Amino acid sequence: MGRLLLLAGVVLIPLTALILLIKRITRSMAERFQQTPSPFPSLKGMLMFLLPLPVLFAAIAALGRGSLDGLIGNAAGYGLFLAGALLLRRGLLSEVEYDRRRVARTPWPFKTLGGTVVALATSVTAWLGADHHPAIAVAFGLAALLGCYLSYGFDPRTAKRFTDSEGVDVTDRVLEALAQAERGITAIEHATRDIRNAELNGRLRRIAALARQILTLLEEDPRDLRRARKFLNVYLDGAKQVTEGYAKTHGRVSAPELEDNFRRVLITIEEVFAEQQQKLLESDVSDLDVQIEVLTTQLKREGVV
Amino acid sequence: MPDFLRKFIGLLLIVAAVGVASCQALMVSCSSGATAVSSSLLR
Repeated sequence: MGRLLLLAGVVLIPLTALILLIKRITRSMAERFQQTPSPFPSLKGMLMFLLPLPVLFAAIAALGRGSLDGLIGNAAGYGLFLAGALLLRRGLLSEVEYDRRRVARTPWPFKTLGGTVVALATSVTAWLGADHHPAIAVAFGLAALLGCYLSYGFDPRTAKRFTDSEGVDVTDRVLEALAQAERGITAIEHATRDIRNAELNGRLRRIAALARQILTLLEEDPRDLRRARKFLNVYLDGAKQVTEGYAKTHGRVSAPELEDNFRRVLITIEEVFAEQQQKLLESDVSDLDVQIEVLTTQLKREGVV
Repeated sequence: MPDFLRKFIGLLLIVAAVGVASCQALMVSCSSGATAVSSSLLR
């Protein structure tokens, strides 16, 4: 009876996890048809998901054989490998984000943590799964830790700070403004799911994409933040409130006037956002023009040209 | 050390440590299973 219960538990837990996973995948597939398609997910750190797969098969083989020791050892090893791979991948992705930005806080040390957990997983697998001596298992772990360090490196340890023209450190203010803008865009995208009009949804998607492009420009050069303050505080916030309000109301009341008004507002917002993006791009071009002019003058003065 | 070489050595170490430990765990698991099956057949 006890064995039957254990077997039922062992079968039911992965089955439930599988069902939850399938539900999540189908939901995200359904959302994909409503939202702009995201870029292909990065393959960074995928090796750490693939290499330990034999440990999973070893755990399944131990289960089939009825060996509790083997099952616990291999399952613990594979669980740790999975946790380490997830941490490592998260660290690698946050490092990409850190490198892309000109202003960034010190990221959480996910890579270091992931490498340590992978090393621990290797030791546990070598000791409990492969029946090695504990000292040899530790050597396996150390080799994995060194490999992770050499291959992926450790996390960045310094924040990328930004000071304005008066020499004041405004890093936190810049990051807070960017995070707030990102929350606004996410709220617009979220509200789009409740609107059942393909044309309005298309406009909202274009608006969200434009807003993201503007945010990318601001992240690359936070000096533009002062110029874009009106965009962040007035238009983006207004767009979010109007969209959320419309998404709530139009499900309950069918009013063609409301739809027309909302369409007009969206057209204006789209124009304003496109104008804002153009202004930021033009300011980059004029900055470059000034730099080229200064360099040419200097070269002429020194008799090079 | 050049960046490429550092990453290559790192990858080799990861494959050697994680890959070998994983495959050995699978082999141990399967071989004890085979032993159990053969001993039960002999009985």
